[in-house]
Amino acid sequence: MSNVIDIDSNAVAFIKQQGGVVTVRLSPRHVCCGGIANLAVAEARLPDNTQHFQHHIQDDISVYITPDLAAQGLRIGVEGWWKLRHLYVDGAAIQSS
Amino acid sequence: MTTQSNSSPTSADMGLFERYLSLWVAIAIVAGIALGQFAPAVPDVLSRFEYAQVSIPIAVLIWAMIFPMMAQIDFSAIAGVRRQPKGLTITTTVNWLIKPFTMFALAWLFFMVIFRPFISEELASQYLAGAILLGAAPCTAMVFVWSYLTRGDAAYTLVQVALNDLIMLFAFAPLVVLLLGISNIQVPWDTVILSVVLYIVIPLAAGYFTRKTLIAKHGAEWYDNVFMKRVGPITPIGLIITLVLLFAFQGEVILNNPLHIVLIAIPLIIQTFLIFFIAYGWAKAWRVPHNIAAPGAMIGASNFFELAVAAAIALFGLQSGAALATVVGVLVEVPLMLALVRIANKTRHHFPVNSQ
Repeated sequence: MSNVIDIDSNAVAFIKQQGGVVTVRLSPRHVCCGGIANLAVAEARLPDNTQHFQHHIQDDISVYITPDLAAQGLRIGVEGWWKLRHLYVDGAAIQSS
Repeated sequence: MTTQSNSSPTSADMGLFERYLSLWVAIAIVAGIALGQFAPAVPDVLSRFEYAQVSIPIAVLIWAMIFPMMAQIDFSAIAGVRRQPKGLTITTTVNWLIKPFTMFALAWLFFMVIFRPFISEELASQYLAGAILLGAAPCTAMVFVWSYLTRGDAAYTLVQVALNDLIMLFAFAPLVVLLLGISNIQVPWDTVILSVVLYIVIPLAAGYFTRKTLIAKHGAEWYDNVFMKRVGPITPIGLIITLVLLFAFQGEVILNNPLHIVLIAIPLIIQTFLIFFIAYGWAKAWRVPHNIAAPGAMIGASNFFELAVAAAIALFGLQSGAALATVVGVLVEVPLMLALVRIANKTRHHFPVNSQ
């Protein structure tokens, strides 16, 4: 597998428009009965602490990715419109904490 | 391809609290009954703090249960509604056009006909009302765990939950009023609207603006890892305290009719399996991949029991049979859903594997 994560062409254009940086991380969701489920998310911004992420340059984009999500065959896409336009990660299963 | 390994996660991968939820609920029932019997002054004093017929302590507890879940709903995910059209069509149809009506039909059949010799007419109506409230409120948070345990597609689960939350805002009250009306259970529209505003609109709006404001100020990572880490655990604490209080008021009903918990559980269990198999079978017929079919069927089958409990208390009171029926929903939820997880994982080979 050559890419740490696949980024579709529309997402590449969107990320470049936002500054050329993408962070791929696990977002914890607290469930009603006390547990946590982690969802893969992508954001066109630098992570708060870059040390917790792998860093790669791909398609002229700076990719910061949580090690658990790297090289898993995931894909970043972009969807929505106007201010709701945002990145999403496709192909990821939910993970436990 | 997904991030999954070959082996399916098991219930052992769940947190201690959620795995043994039935046990904690049973302990809350016993503790609540004991509180009502041995320290009746506590529920008496709490019941005095009312404003416009809304119990302030209960309202605070219900907001504590619901707000953290609302604060993590990402409505922008709805933009992904076109990505899994089959899964979204099946689950949305099952959740809103089938489930409320099968719940009503099953509860009516059992409470009004089959169990009629064991339950008074008044209590039967109350239990039916509780079942209607459960059937009209689809799960919005615990589904992430069921999706994880069946190796479900995270993006689909997120979109489906956001879509259900949006629909719930508009459909919950009309569905409840319609089905209660068919059951000849009179609830004034203004009371239903008040409970929807108090326990759906206000927490949802507060959650939305909290999320939007704090993410704009501190970033999404801070929001997830700092704010929600503090706020998230409030939900189960609120749930258990609400149940203790509820049973402090319900003590006499339970002590006089302990068998009723079993009687209420029977149609709720049948409904859960029925809805799961309708959604799962439909997904199989449409050749929907397993990582969409399984979480879709689980979302269809499970309930937003905090909302059902809240609405039952708001509409019928803490001492009502309706409130008791919704709590039985909480009691049976986790064992039932774990049984469905096992079924989904054992039948994985009947479905296409990949969602892409």
